[in-house]
Amino acid sequence: MARAAISGDSGTRKLLLGNEAIARGAVEAGISAAAAYPGTPSTEILEALAEVAEEYGVYVEWSTNEKVALEVGIGVSMMGLRALVAMKHVGLNVASDPLMSLGYTGVVGGLVVVSADDPNAHSSQNEQDNRYYGLHSYIPVFEPSGVQEAKDMTRELFQLSEEHRTAVILRTTTRLSHSRGEVMFGAVERVHREPVFHRDPERWALLPPYSLRKHREVLERIRTLEEKLGEWPFNRFVEGDGDTLIVSAGFAHAYVREALDWLKVNPPLLKLASTYPLPRALAKRALEFRKIVVVEELEPFVEDQLRAFAQREGSSAEIHGKDLFPRVGELNTALVASGLSKALGVSFDPPRGNAAGVELPPRPPTLCPGCGHRSTYYAVKLAAARARVKPVWANDIGCYTLGFFPPFRMADFTWSMGSALGIGMGIARFSKDPVVAFIGDSTFYHAGIPGLINAVYNQYPIVVVVMDNGVTAMTGHQPHPGSGYGPTGEKRPAIPVENLARACGVEFVEVVPAYEVARLRDAVERAIKYAREKNAPAVVVARQFCALEELRMKRMRGEAVVPYVIDQAKCVKCGICVDQFSCPAIVRENGSIKILTELCAGCGVCASICPAKAIGPLSG
Amino acid sequence: MIRSVVISGVGGQGLLTMGELLGEALIERGFKVSVGEIHGLSQRGGSVVVFVKYGDVQPSPIVVEGEANALVGLELIETARRVQLLAPTGIVLANNYLLPPPASQKIPGREELIEAIRRAARNVILINAVELARKAGSSVAVNMVMLGALAASGAVDLGLADLKGVVEKKFTGRTGEVNARALILGFEEAQKQLREKA
Ligand code: SF4
Ligand code: SF4
Repeated sequence: MARAAISGDSGTRKLLLGNEAIARGAVEAGISAAAAYPGTPSTEILEALAEVAEEYGVYVEWSTNEKVALEVGIGVSMMGLRALVAMKHVGLNVASDPLMSLGYTGVVGGLVVVSADDPNAHSSQNEQDNRYYGLHSYIPVFEPSGVQEAKDMTRELFQLSEEHRTAVILRTTTRLSHSRGEVMFGAVERVHREPVFHRDPERWALLPPYSLRKHREVLERIRTLEEKLGEWPFNRFVEGDGDTLIVSAGFAHAYVREALDWLKVNPPLLKLASTYPLPRALAKRALEFRKIVVVEELEPFVEDQLRAFAQREGSSAEIHGKDLFPRVGELNTALVASGLSKALGVSFDPPRGNAAGVELPPRPPTLCPGCGHRSTYYAVKLAAARARVKPVWANDIGCYTLGFFPPFRMADFTWSMGSALGIGMGIARFSKDPVVAFIGDSTFYHAGIPGLINAVYNQYPIVVVVMDNGVTAMTGHQPHPGSGYGPTGEKRPAIPVENLARACGVEFVEVVPAYEVARLRDAVERAIKYAREKNAPAVVVARQFCALEELRMKRMRGEAVVPYVIDQAKCVKCGICVDQFSCPAIVRENGSIKILTELCAGCGVCASICPAKAIGPLSG
Repeated sequence: MIRSVVISGVGGQGLLTMGELLGEALIERGFKVSVGEIHGLSQRGGSVVVFVKYGDVQPSPIVVEGEANALVGLELIETARRVQLLAPTGIVLANNYLLPPPASQKIPGREELIEAIRRAARNVILINAVELARKAGSSVAVNMVMLGALAASGAVDLGLADLKGVVEKKFTGRTGEVNARALILGFEEAQKQLREKA
């Protein structure tokens, strides 16, 4: 599977993910650089670009966080070159500070900021609609309706960005980012620009006398775009029957088309690909219809803009949207057909299936067999019991967030990147019980360090367990500042967590292999004691390379994994391994406990915690 | 006309690969295809579902209740969970394999699950895919066995040769051989059962 997904000549056809299509579009536009922080559903954009970095001469990087990624992109643009920056929706919150100023300054080289939103919150803490960031920052927003269009539009947007001297937001959603469709490749533009720093302090230095002037300028820029986007080819009017116009925004178009097919009706359509600012000419034309139905995912973003426009124009068109379609969760063809049937006054019988009619156990994701996070949670729990404390469990964003679920239940809150420390400190200031914060290595580099400095400076007795597995695991094992290599596998300097913790002024720093339960337990017990006595933070780094990635590498090297087995004669059925440690490879079957050898990663931790010494490697 | 397949199972069972291979094979046959996937954390041993839709116009990537022409289930609980997506005329191809979620207390038994699936769907084929995959050379090839079974069911416009084509293109060496063998074993097993039924 070594062939790069997005490499190929003009005319090549490939089945691509929406994210890969965006990456291909950027390559075709001749970008010089791409920067991102991994986050579902955005991650594959940079991964796809990394695969062709050498072939097409693109510099790619996983930045420490989204703010840094956007800032790198802005710098590249100031050099007159094209750049793409990608992140998930909540990542744009982190990058929002430079984003707001970017709206004022505009760009030189084309700059596309991809925001991958997650309606339905498949893998996110919320389903925020990032189109409002465009409205908020005066940066125009574009939404492709399918995979091919994602490729074509991305390519075009670099052109548009330079022409109007503005950054643009390309808003994708999980269903576009993670669906595959056929994409026909175009030619790769060889931009061959001499990189030149566009020195213009009055433009780039956002100081008081210039800011108001820029505010006026950006309003003018948006007005121009309102006019120009009426002719932009990705926005399209389609003639049809009747006096009700259907407006589909971005990816909602895929459902609208299918729903109209189900309903066997053919109303006029306005397919909108640029959703901020609203193209004036098209909005005007829409108001000629008696009734307008806006179909869009999440918030009434286009609907409300259209309502405001209608009010200003004194139009009496009837406007519908979120009265017909849900504002929560994703759309699908059935939901859209149901709403459209009401608006168009046609009948609709949704397809029905039969449920299984048995109660099924939920299957939330779990820590992998052999995951070091599991033994860490297990050891920390033992430490708390030994120290006779009931900690408040502060938790963060990553695979380890799964510590929320039984049997551990060690996430009293999870918020946003780095919040385990921040919020944990607010609690620690007034809590009699100790606060133990769990944070992953990647999250620590991303947003944990300022919190840790605060803990030292403002003297918080907080125990920070850094769960260090060497990669950004949850999103698919991307490297980070501790990994020692970059996105294309090239060597980069590694910055160990413990060095940073010591540099932040933390005096209690211990590093323990995460598989060594007893050692880890003792270290955490010491940390709890230290924090309380010294009124200062203590850091324990629990280190074990990600088991899933390790397994993959072993498979590639052709190395055998020696699974563990339970000696049934010795097993006393205490259930510790299956109920309290809960490796997914250990199951109960017909009254006995056994290890599913095909799932076992061979880490051996279960053997070390089994009080009857009933578990051992298969051969020995 | 749009047709669709739902693939359900547990994260790590190779569902994304199945979706990709199906998509590629259908494109070779000249269809417009959408494959809807779920990435990220849910892949860590969680309940995963992949949608494959195709037709002569570009379909949407989501399959809704009562829509699917076929449900390919890689695990029994996950098959039961998604059976509602199947159209009344659709077919279920289920791996006869039960993997209880870790630390869950109340789990329906194998027979109970199979019965429930049969109640919900008229046409159910059970495949011992783990066994067939082992026979093909690797227990990881369960997904290929099930793809082969799907080709035999006639629920998609694909034959064994179409799938073999894309599998051989994607995998080389031993993995390629094992996968191709698994595909054939799944195909033959489903074909045999369908013949017996008819
Ligand atoms: S991917 Fe790695 S870090 Fe995440 S749960 Fe699996 S083993 Fe643990
Ligand atoms: S050795 Fe034990 S704990 Fe480790 S993966 Fe195998 S069963 Fe799970």
